[in-house]
Amino acid sequence: MRNSHADFTTVKIYLKQYMANSTAATAETKAWGGGRSPFNVSYGKMMMWFFLLSDAFTFGAFLISYGTKRFFSAVWPDPNHVFHAFPFMGHADLPLLFVSLMTFILIMSSVTMVLAVHAGHYGDKNGVIKWMLWTIVGGICFLACQAWEWTHLGHLTGGLWGTFTDGTAPKAIYEGFYNTSSEAFINASPAQLSEATHNFYNFFFTITGFHGFHVLSGVAFLIIILINVVNGTYENRGHYEMVEKVGLYWHFVDLVWVFVFTCFYLL
Amino acid sequence: MSAHNHNTDDTLHYYEGDQSKLYSGIMSHHTDVKSPESKKQIGRIWKVFWILLAVTIIEVVMGMFFSHSMPRALLNTLFLVLTLFKAGYIVAVFMHLGDELKNFIMLILIPLTLFIWFIIAFLADGDFWLFMNTTTPVR
Repeated sequence: MRNSHADFTTVKIYLKQYMANSTAATAETKAWGGGRSPFNVSYGKMMMWFFLLSDAFTFGAFLISYGTKRFFSAVWPDPNHVFHAFPFMGHADLPLLFVSLMTFILIMSSVTMVLAVHAGHYGDKNGVIKWMLWTIVGGICFLACQAWEWTHLGHLTGGLWGTFTDGTAPKAIYEGFYNTSSEAFINASPAQLSEATHNFYNFFFTITGFHGFHVLSGVAFLIIILINVVNGTYENRGHYEMVEKVGLYWHFVDLVWVFVFTCFYLL
Repeated sequence: MSAHNHNTDDTLHYYEGDQSKLYSGIMSHHTDVKSPESKKQIGRIWKVFWILLAVTIIEVVMGMFFSHSMPRALLNTLFLVLTLFKAGYIVAVFMHLGDELKNFIMLILIPLTLFIWFIIAFLADGDFWLFMNTTTPVR
């Protein structure tokens, strides 16, 4: 193989020219050729958006299966009757008030989060710390409310998932869950009521539980990022993009609650 | 050949690379949190908060007082419209999607239109099963 060295040199020269040309071409024409960001969004932020998109489909699948089961059922629990209790108010009939408070807390925490992101844009470290702390407080309040609501609903029925399985139980045990003067309730058989209430409870705890777990992990993420903010990690980096990314996650949790609220408490 | 524009070779720059330039590039004109521009944005955030609060109160009042007197279909349509209205504000303002490039907005929103088909298909299926279960076959 006498010529191999000469061949290799030729290839090297050719490669050099080729790469010089292609680099120039990329810089001039190809938005997708690499070395630039066609969407003007950093990698981390774009991946957070993609994750949230996938999470939206997960929540969407849950809510749509809930809707399918509901359309399948001849009778369905009335939210005004199921959710009417408030802490320390005994047996007072206050439909939807407690869940409205929970919704208010979550919207409020979303506002404090966006104010933290705003402070981060301006490199205002103390502002970021202050608003992130309020966001964490809001998240913990929401989780506490949800813990109370679950405990209350569990006490009503002696359990969370897998309750109302006896299709021969008398109709009287379902009275707290339905508008008893409605035609659908009067016509419903005990077996239909058992199935509908059972499905309603299972979907309610699965979906609000999945959402609550998102809130819980959100609070954990916020605490981690807050520690970094206090330690000056992002001040040294020159920007607070991590606060914006964790903010995207937090707003998404609020966004999902808007839909959960509508599907379970209003519709 | 300059896909990564590292100024230094420390770990942080390998981790962040162009990304940090991209981020601080957009935000580089922000300096003073007490500037009029900053205050205007804060005002916008609080305005959206009041809108979300007002819409939620309207929804709750409708749910509490009109759920048995108004036609159910009309009530549910209103609930869904108000929900999408709130979602739009959260995504556009709180999540800053409205400030991104139009291509990026489309990248996020277009896949979500699949939900239109999902919802119609699955709810219609549930409705059909109910119909089948409550109808006596005619022979």
